[in-house]
Amino acid sequence: MQKEVPVANKIKTDLHEILQIRHLTDSTFVLRIERKGLTFQAGQHVCVGPPNGIHTREYSIYSAEQDDYLEILVKEVENGLVSPSLKKLKSGGFVVVEEPVGYFTINKALPKNQKYVFIASGTGISPFHSFVLSTPGLNYTLLHGVRHGDEAYDADAYEAGRYVLCTSRDDSGNYKGRVTQYLKKHPFGTDVHYYLCGNCNMIHDVYDILEEQGVSTDNIHAEVYF
Amino acid sequence: MNQSDSERVRRVLEGMGAQWTDSEEEAGIIGILACSVRQKAIDKVYSKISAWNRRKDRQNLITFISGCILPADKEKFLKLFDIVFAMRELPQFPQMMAHYGITTPAGLERDNLNPKEEMSFFWKVKPKYNSNFEAFVPIQNGCDKFCSFCAVPYTRGREVSRPSAEIVNEVQSLVNKGYKSITLLGQNVNSYGLDKKGKEINFAQLLEAIGEIGVKSSHRFWVYFTSPHPRDMGREVIEVIARYDCLAKQIHLPLQSGDDKVLIRMNRKHSLKKYRESVEAIRELIPQATLFTDIIVGFSGETDEQFQNTRKALKEFDYNMAYIAMYSRRPGATSYSWPDDVELATKKQRLAVLSEDLAGTAGAYNAQMVDKVFPVLVRDKDRKSGYLSGQTEGKITVRFASEDNALIGQIVDVRITSAGNFSVEGELLEVSALMDRE
Repeated sequence: MQKEVPVANKIKTDLHEILQIRHLTDSTFVLRIERKGLTFQAGQHVCVGPPNGIHTREYSIYSAEQDDYLEILVKEVENGLVSPSLKKLKSGGFVVVEEPVGYFTINKALPKNQKYVFIASGTGISPFHSFVLSTPGLNYTLLHGVRHGDEAYDADAYEAGRYVLCTSRDDSGNYKGRVTQYLKKHPFGTDVHYYLCGNCNMIHDVYDILEEQGVSTDNIHAEVYF
Repeated sequence: MNQSDSERVRRVLEGMGAQWTDSEEEAGIIGILACSVRQKAIDKVYSKISAWNRRKDRQNLITFISGCILPADKEKFLKLFDIVFAMRELPQFPQMMAHYGITTPAGLERDNLNPKEEMSFFWKVKPKYNSNFEAFVPIQNGCDKFCSFCAVPYTRGREVSRPSAEIVNEVQSLVNKGYKSITLLGQNVNSYGLDKKGKEINFAQLLEAIGEIGVKSSHRFWVYFTSPHPRDMGREVIEVIARYDCLAKQIHLPLQSGDDKVLIRMNRKHSLKKYRESVEAIRELIPQATLFTDIIVGFSGETDEQFQNTRKALKEFDYNMAYIAMYSRRPGATSYSWPDDVELATKKQRLAVLSEDLAGTAGAYNAQMVDKVFPVLVRDKDRKSGYLSGQTEGKITVRFASEDNALIGQIVDVRITSAGNFSVEGELLEVSALMDRE
C-alpha cells in the first residue's frame, strides 16, 4: 500500500521568490525576496529556510516597512543548517518565509525627538537598518562593531555622523576598538533608549557598562543573535 | 497541552467508530502525542514504535504520532509510523485513516488548508473530557518567543489564538455541566489575541468574559491558566483576576532564572525588574494569591554568582511551588549547539539548594494555613489509606480523612490541622459547592 502521509508539523507557510542576492562580503549577503503582503514592524524577524529543507532560522528583517519586498542580511555559518543552503540559491528560486514576529521594536509612544543609541555587532546591524529606513528623522547614533572595515554593511544608508564603525582588527573604521571600549569613552547619558543586537557576549558587556553608567534596564532593549 | 490534545484525538477516533482500550496489546490503532521539551520523552517514542512495528508481524496495527515533533525527528518518524500529523491537522485524521482502509463519512473529503485555517478546524473538534470535574481548554497554540533552550517554536509554529467566542462557549458549557476546575491552555496564554492584530480581544478581556460566566453561575468553579510569559503579564490581567471570584487566585509565572544576563542568553525578552513588577502587582492586587514558577538550573554558562541571583529571586518572590529542572540540551533548540558546561554534580547541587530554599518559603505559607478553613476540590483517593486528597484554590495539596469517594469532584470545606512543606492535612467540615454536578 502506498503511504500518502501528510507532511507533519509543516511550519512552512509559503514560498517566496528570490528577487535578488547581493553579496556584501565573501560570507555575507542580502537576500531580497517577495513580500507577498506580509506586514511587519521594523525590528521584527522572520523564519527563513530553503524550499525543500526541514529547517528554518530566524533573521531580522533588513528592509524598510514601506518597501514592497523583504530583505534579510545573512552571514554564512560554517556547517550551519540553513545559511549555506541560502547562499547557494539564485534569483528566481524560492525560500520558505514564515510570518514576521518579534518584540525588538521602537516604542512609537515615545516622543519623536527621543534619542536612541543602536549598538550592533556584525550582522546584528540588520534591525537597525530597518529602523533607520522605516523612520525618517529618527534621532539615533549607531555603533557598529566588526573586525574589519569591509564588514561595514551598507554604511552609506546612514546619515553622516550617525554611524560609528568600530573595527577591532584594523583601523579602517571611525574608531579602532570594540563598541564596548567606545561606549566607555563616550557615554550617551541615561535619558537615551539603548537597543543592542548581536552576539551574546557583546550584549552582556554593553549591559554591564550601561548599568555602571546609571542607565535603567527599562531603557535597554536587547535582541541576541545566536 | 497534550492532555487537552489527547481528549480531542480520542473524540475523533471514537467518532470514526473506534473504541477506547486501556490495553496496549489489545489496540488496533495506537498512537503517541509526543513532547519535545525533553529528549528523554522522544527517546521513549523510538522505543515504543520499535515494539509496535514488531507486533505488526502478528496483528493488524495502525500507528500514528502527533504533538510536538521537531523537523529532524519528523523525518525519522515518517519512516517508522503509519501516520504522522501536526495536531492542527487532526480534523483530517479520518482522511488519513482512509488510506489504511478505515473509511468513515468524515474521511471522504479533504481540504487543502493553511496552518491557521487548520488550527481553527482543530479547535472545533469537541474533546472527550477525561474527567467530569476538571477540564482543559486550549486557547492558543504556538510560540513567537524563541527562548534559546526550547524547541517549541520549531515544533508548534507561530502563535495562533483560538476565537474567543469558541473559548467562552466551551467554558460556559463546562460550567453548565458542573465542572469545578477549568484550565486555559497555551504555550503563551497571555499573548492571547496579539496575533490577530486588533481583530480579537486580548487575554485580560478574555478572562473578563469568563469571569462574567462565574458571576452568573450558581455554583463555584475555579479557572486557571498556564503558561503565561512574564513579558506579556500586564497589570490589566492581574486586575481582572482580582475582580472575579471564579478566576483562581493562583498564578504560575515562569522565572527560569533570577539573573538578567542568563535571561538574555535564554532570550527570555524580559528583565528581572519586569518580572518583579508583575509579582509586586500580584501581591498588591491579589494578596491571597499563591505563586508558582519554573526554574532551570545549570543553563549553559550559568556561573555560581548567577545561580546565587536565582536563589535570591526565589526567596524574594516567596513561591509556593517551583518546578526546578536541571538544564539539558534539547536538539532543535538554539542552545543545543552551546556547551553544556555546568557539571552534572553542580547542577544537582544547585537543584538541591533551590529545593531546600523552596521548602522554606512554601512551608512558611503552609504553616500559616493551620486552623483556617479552605475550600478544597477533592481530586482522588490519597496514597494514605482512608484519606482523600485535593487542592485548594491556590493549588496547595490537602489530604483529609474520608472514605467517601462520592466527594471526588466536589468542593468541600477543610480545616487545616497540620502543615508540611509541600502539602497540608486537615479535617473535613462540609460540602460547600452550592450545586451538585450533573
